[in-house]
Amino acid sequence: MDLYREDVMDHYEHPRNQGELSGEQVVSDQEKNASCGDSVQFFLDIHDGIIVKAKWRGVGCAIMTASASKLSEYLQGKRMSELKKMSEEALAKEGISFEVNPGRSKCLMLSVKAVKRLVA
Amino acid sequence: MFDPKVVKKDFPILSRKINDKLLVYLDSGATAQKPQQVLDAERAYYTQHNANVHRGAHTLGDEATQVYEEARAKVAQFIGGQTTEIVFVRNTTEAINLVAYSWGLDNLKQGDVIVSTLMEHHANLVPWQQVAKRTGARVEVVGVGDDGLLEMADYKEKLALKPKMVVFGHVSNALGTINPVAEMTKLAHKAGALVLVDGAQAVPHLSVDIGAIGCDFYAFSGHKMLGPMGIGVLWGREALLTTMSPFLTGGGMIDEVYVDHATWAELPEKFEAGTPNVAGAVGLASAIDYLETLGMEMVRNHDQHIVEYALRALSGLPQVRLLGTHNAKLRSGSVSFEYQGVHAHDVATILDSDGVAIRSGHHCTMPLHNHLGVMASIRASFNVYTTTEDVDALVQALHKVKVVFGK
Repeated sequence: MDLYREDVMDHYEHPRNQGELSGEQVVSDQEKNASCGDSVQFFLDIHDGIIVKAKWRGVGCAIMTASASKLSEYLQGKRMSELKKMSEEALAKEGISFEVNPGRSKCLMLSVKAVKRLVA
Repeated sequence: MFDPKVVKKDFPILSRKINDKLLVYLDSGATAQKPQQVLDAERAYYTQHNANVHRGAHTLGDEATQVYEEARAKVAQFIGGQTTEIVFVRNTTEAINLVAYSWGLDNLKQGDVIVSTLMEHHANLVPWQQVAKRTGARVEVVGVGDDGLLEMADYKEKLALKPKMVVFGHVSNALGTINPVAEMTKLAHKAGALVLVDGAQAVPHLSVDIGAIGCDFYAFSGHKMLGPMGIGVLWGREALLTTMSPFLTGGGMIDEVYVDHATWAELPEKFEAGTPNVAGAVGLASAIDYLETLGMEMVRNHDQHIVEYALRALSGLPQVRLLGTHNAKLRSGSVSFEYQGVHAHDVATILDSDGVAIRSGHHCTMPLHNHLGVMASIRASFNVYTTTEDVDALVQALHKVKVVFGK
């Protein structure tokens, strides 16, 4: 089926940029979905307004995992001021680039919400 | 016994296609589908009798009042209560809130104990937490064993705390467990407590006799028993309802109103403020007719058959870990499970692509899921239109999970 297409499953099975970051320039925030216990925490290492490294850790379904993985790749090298201008929807579209049914949008938006709070 | 394949034909929605596949609806525990007879009854009310009840002296007003009160009488007869003891509400949640606030705020005080259970739907836990917070009472929770049954030794220990109110579900919405409600009620009464039973998952499948249970309050929803959404029932012992304060106040529930005070109508109107859901009540009465035509004993036999079949079929899948007791006789309405290695929401999405609708998540039982160490589970739940072929379709669709996830 479409949702679990090859690149999504690849990010689910081999998540990119998993882990934590620490240091003075690092900010982090966590987002949870109480309805299923999923949670994600993003770490952004920011120098001169540019994300030099993005990592995340979390537990959840394939959609949550793949979307966090894809978003973490997208964020590398991005300018904070530009991310700040993007709506949550735009960040999901640009940064995750796959779509889900309304019933699964929480799984997809978990990472977006965590990141959006960090760049606000 | 009736043939669920024939029954299915009465439910228009069940001939719908989802993702080009015939709908296999296994989410009846969330809400049941409605037979044409119920849909017709609601429509007939609006096209022929609609008017406000207990008010105007005109023909339609009389007719609306008559069909509304006939529905109440039908509900009373169905569960074995008096018509004055049947309060129409929106749903089980509202019925429980009515008792929690109306009885609880007047009767609970600092240090009092309310006993609930770990397997309760949030609707039979959160209202009691709220009332406890306001009155200084506390909520104690009876544990659930690995077998999915309430721990009776723990129940007795909790009763030794001399609770004022004891609340539990008749059938667990997450585990399917049928609790020994009559025995539990007897013990609670002996300890001096009142008893409220959440019957939301029991009334659709079991023949419920309030007198045999012996409880003080019994709550259920129309929409889980083939009736419409937005109509539910609180049955309460007349002597208790009489002494309780109204829950919601305003029109329809008063006797006399002065600028500075008011007196209340007789039962059950005292608890039915505002314009009621007459079409919903009429639809619920029609759903009861439908169930009685099938026969509640046959409904229970069919439920047993499907639960047993599903338990056996699912236990044949190595990835499936069933939740709750494996003894079908102690269960009703549903089978919940984990698919090991794949998140419940992912399983749900893949099943949906085959037209199979199931529930994934915590099913409004977060404390129970925390206790079981399960983040989210999958629940297949049934009603009179469920066939063994529907269960086969579920098992077939689960094979697709293995294909997609390789697990």
